[in-house]
Amino acid sequence: MADSLICIEHVSKAYRRDSLQIPVLADIDLTIDTGEFIALMGPSGSGKTTLLNLLAGIDTPTKGRITIDRRVISSMRETELARWRADHIGFIFQLYNLIPVLTAFENVELPLLLTRLSRQERQAHVRTALAIVGLSDRADHYPRQLSGGQEQRVAIARAIVADPVILVADEPTGDLDARSAGEILDLLNRLNTEHHKTIVMVTHDPRAAARAHRMLHLDKGVLSVEEPAAALDRSRDGR
Amino acid sequence: MKYFRFIWKNVFRKKSRAFLTMASIVLVLVLIVVLSSLLEALDYDTGRTKGAANVVVQHATGLGNFMPLAYRQKIEQVPGVVAVAPQIWFGGIYVDERPQNFFGQLSTDPQVWAIVHDDYSIPDDQLIDRFHWTIGQRIQVRGTYIPGTIDLVLRGVYTGPDESNIFFHNKYLENSFLGRLERTGIFYLRTEAPEKVPGVCDAINKMFENSDAPVKAMPEKQFMLQFTEMMGDVKLLFRSIALTVLFTVVLIVANTMAMSARERVTQIAVIRALGFRRSQVLMLVLSEAIVLALLGGVAGALGSFPFMWGLIGIIKHTPVAMFAYNLKISLATLLTAFTAAVGIGVLAGFVPAIRSSRISIVDGLRRVA
Ligand SMILES: Nc1ncnc2c1ncn2[C@@H]1O[C@H](COP(=O)(O)OP(=O)(O)OP(=O)(O)O)[C@@H](O)[C@H]1O
Ligand SMILES: [Mg+2]
Repeated sequence: MADSLICIEHVSKAYRRDSLQIPVLADIDLTIDTGEFIALMGPSGSGKTTLLNLLAGIDTPTKGRITIDRRVISSMRETELARWRADHIGFIFQLYNLIPVLTAFENVELPLLLTRLSRQERQAHVRTALAIVGLSDRADHYPRQLSGGQEQRVAIARAIVADPVILVADEPTGDLDARSAGEILDLLNRLNTEHHKTIVMVTHDPRAAARAHRMLHLDKGVLSVEEPAAALDRSRDGR
Repeated sequence: MKYFRFIWKNVFRKKSRAFLTMASIVLVLVLIVVLSSLLEALDYDTGRTKGAANVVVQHATGLGNFMPLAYRQKIEQVPGVVAVAPQIWFGGIYVDERPQNFFGQLSTDPQVWAIVHDDYSIPDDQLIDRFHWTIGQRIQVRGTYIPGTIDLVLRGVYTGPDESNIFFHNKYLENSFLGRLERTGIFYLRTEAPEKVPGVCDAINKMFENSDAPVKAMPEKQFMLQFTEMMGDVKLLFRSIALTVLFTVVLIVANTMAMSARERVTQIAVIRALGFRRSQVLMLVLSEAIVLALLGGVAGALGSFPFMWGLIGIIKHTPVAMFAYNLKISLATLLTAFTAAVGIGVLAGFVPAIRSSRISIVDGLRRVA
């Protein structure tokens, strides 16, 4: 367990609304090894985004311990955590979340501004990242000039440009048509196999989940491992 | 400054809003530059060391009363006094009574006038400029409280801090009642050195203490201040206007920044997720406000020049024409304007910046989804 990349131990999360405690995650235990591609599924409101946020270091657990790359992130302080995220995590969102006033190039460059890299080094990294997602020719385009699938590829370039170990993706294909979704999933697969990124992906789409090595199911804050076939069945039933 | 591009692009995220906000800063800065320049022009005293050795003697009860001309010989005897020029304010009408034709007319003794005013040396010929006079010009002024019309010929031009007067020979008033009574309005006198001024004033005041016409001798500066004292209220007014508009524009810019920050909660959550620290977000938003204010500030400072030239042109045709010639945009005023611009940016950007830096990443990301 200690050798795992991500180690989640007895983690609970509850939100406080006024005096009311709303439990979201209850006593979660989970380990993820380097190079794994995990799909996290479950009904709406089951706590998938919450779990992803916890292991990405943008939220903190109410109880329990999260260790990533041998560092306990659940007890890190704000600034330390920010620096850690810049080094370790790449974010991919459902709605891409590119900065509209910046070009594709500048969006991808954004995480590198936090590093000590020179201008030339930054440019080289950005070009590489854009090449990996196949958008070298769109560097000067603004997000509004790109299709949804292209926007998501720029967002993926932004997620990998600083060479993090882990990519977290919250419904990365949720807003895309089947073809673009397929391209994104191919890209994630390649990042996993060729670039050795550990990927944790939340998805509602069983076909997307089928690309993963391991499928986890979250229901009412409780985690279970699920067979890919079972997920497909459930989706046919209409969840 | 690798963040500058990001800041700059965010400033112009909503172009028309940015330009409207900047326009309000420009207007306010033009106003501030003009008001501070006016304040500077009104400050007779600003940086002035000339005339420090001069003393003015007037009747103790005020300028409305005249003193015997015979005092001149006695004052000339006071140790430290170099020259004494009697002066009378004629207050005549030139052409007509319209304010743009008003200027001061003083009779004096040309023999000593030059000695008393020898260090007047700011080169500008206000009246020449105003009325397009030339040397040899005939100038006719009609007396008001001193009856009679006098015909003058322009013989020369003096330069000085106040060039809105003409001086003419006392002899022109010899036939008036003042001439017959041997009286004068003021004595303008020069002492040997500025250090002598207090002693000379005391000696003169004492000399006529128990006469029918006691006098008040004072340094030239104090004498001039009598006329500008009433400007005190005007200055206060100018200052309050400047402060009020400054405060208003801070609110306007703060509102713009707050709107802009509120619309960007998700964007800020995203960059925080990418690893930007709270302090960095604070600096970015604050920098945006400062960049916006500085752009407005530079445009405002530049815009105030043509505005000022127009204003000077207008003032030249008013009774306060003398101010037009002192009116200019000084470096100090420009610095004040830039400081004001930065101040506007900091004050207006501070609260939105703090707010933006405090947003929760998780809540910010949840907002669109
Ligand atoms: N800031 C918050 N305050 C209170 N409750 C919250 C907060 N954030 C999330 N929740 C609650 O936590 C629960 C889990 O939310 P979460 O977003 O993790 O679900 P999810 O599995 O990602 O759902 P979906 O599939 O719809 O994205 C929900 O009931 C939600 O209402
Ligand atoms: Mg979710």
